[in-house]
Amino acid sequence: MKLTKLASAAILAMAASGSANAVVVDVEITNLTHAQTFTPRLVIAHDATYDAFEPGQDASTALAWLAEAGVIDDAQNADSSGQNFEAELGPVDTDNGANTWHRFGGTLGPSASLSYPFDTMDKPYLSLLTMLVPTNDAFAGLDSIEIPTTPGTYSYTLHAYDAGTELNDEINSTRTDVVEAGTGNALGGYGLPGVAGVGASPVPLGDGGTGVGALIENGELEDGTDGPVHIHRGILGDTSLTGGASDLDSTAHRWLNPVARVTITVPAS
Amino acid sequence: MKNQLFKVSLLAMLVTITSACTFDGDDGAVGATGATGAVGPAGADGADGIDGIDGIDGEDGAPGTNGNSAVYTVHFTNLTYNQPMSPAAVILHEPGYHAFTDGEVASVGIEMLAEAADPVMLISEASASANYLDSTTTSGGTNPRSTSSTATLIVPDLDVDNLRLSFASMLGNTNDGFTGLNAMDVSSMTVGQSTSFMAPTWDAGTEANLESASTVPGPAASAAGGGGAAAGFNAARDDLFDRVHFHRGIVSNANVTDASLEGLSTSVLDESHRWNNPTAKITITRTR
Repeated sequence: MKLTKLASAAILAMAASGSANAVVVDVEITNLTHAQTFTPRLVIAHDATYDAFEPGQDASTALAWLAEAGVIDDAQNADSSGQNFEAELGPVDTDNGANTWHRFGGTLGPSASLSYPFDTMDKPYLSLLTMLVPTNDAFAGLDSIEIPTTPGTYSYTLHAYDAGTELNDEINSTRTDVVEAGTGNALGGYGLPGVAGVGASPVPLGDGGTGVGALIENGELEDGTDGPVHIHRGILGDTSLTGGASDLDSTAHRWLNPVARVTITVPAS
Repeated sequence: MKNQLFKVSLLAMLVTITSACTFDGDDGAVGATGATGAVGPAGADGADGIDGIDGIDGEDGAPGTNGNSAVYTVHFTNLTYNQPMSPAAVILHEPGYHAFTDGEVASVGIEMLAEAADPVMLISEASASANYLDSTTTSGGTNPRSTSSTATLIVPDLDVDNLRLSFASMLGNTNDGFTGLNAMDVSSMTVGQSTSFMAPTWDAGTEANLESASTVPGPAASAAGGGGAAAGFNAARDDLFDRVHFHRGIVSNANVTDASLEGLSTSVLDESHRWNNPTAKITITRTR
């Protein structure tokens, strides 16, 4: 037993010295879905004390902002100030001790790829989150993978999770004949029913669905929750633009996991 | 007490001073000594003394012997939205044992697990294998979006360097769907090390996927007046092919009336019972 402990201590010491040089890795993401667009990507390098999401655990408010509205920081939406990932993590592009993070802006359409350099600031783990639109609260997540240190190219596939912070009503948020129950607010975005990011869809959405995970009653739609975080059961959709249950298209908006590929390249030092 | 003494002596001094200040005429006879003054009130109690120092802790007991065994814990998270999962069969073994094989006929143990949510026979089949090391089940079912109880398994130290984990749990609102792991390599884990696996979903191939109240044991069928044990194990093998294969997912009764007509009107399952893989996240930790 003592020998084992000594050996593992030695390994830890080696790992610590091996990561003493800050490494800028290349992070490439590919959208593998048919007709779901990715919102700006949140990339976090962090230590073992931080977990952006965990299946079976309730989502943080920051995750709700990302998964319902694609919002990561104040610059994207001032209303999210104090509740978003910027508030949860600290200043952007800064060594915040337990983490460093960056928002890689722009949307990423179906079948598209983007790559970016990212300074991990010696943090051992990497997480990546991006919302799928049009959905209620689906996000693709890379869950705390160990950042490789040996030069090379490493590939990971991402599953679509349901943040559990909004019922999957699958109702077009540009509809004006439906409002949030109780408040009368228009649909879409954080804390409101309806699927966000309707405009990003390459195929039209319907406007006559009656609701899937929540039903329209008297022109009102409930903003309920269906957490904790779990694997998204997928879009139901239907083939009618004017009726049926869903305003999403069952022939276009569905997906099977995985929904994204992330490729990390560690440069030769 | 000190206070009281002090007051008495002060009184005596005052009496002395008064008698020294008289001048007129001859001194009279010394008067009789006055009566002793009343005793003053008792002083306040003193502060409590300081507590004594605690005794020194006893010495640690000698380490127990572990019988040259390695100990592992296994738990899983149900990743589905609305599929309760059965008690899981958790098996540690050497290479060579397979709880099931894609494209082959399922054992009765797999059929019992996948149709009736019962892991007992599968465990019994495993224990008959020459490659078997240890097994157990998680305690009770595991609800959707929640984490199971923790199972503990013990294997000889000698077998740690070539160890496999197999796992199976039924998706309750299906005919014969199960999530699992098929002989995953968990060799040479160090004490304290954890590894997680994301598991897909298989169809045991032992029962047609009617999605009906009389063939699905879970709560969705119970709500429709069926379910339970009567809808569990059925020895007949009436699926299209009696072979273990990847589950195609449920159809459900959603979209029965829209233009697509893709719903299954006789299904007791609805859109909430659908899933996308993976359906379980299984974590094994070596604790000793």
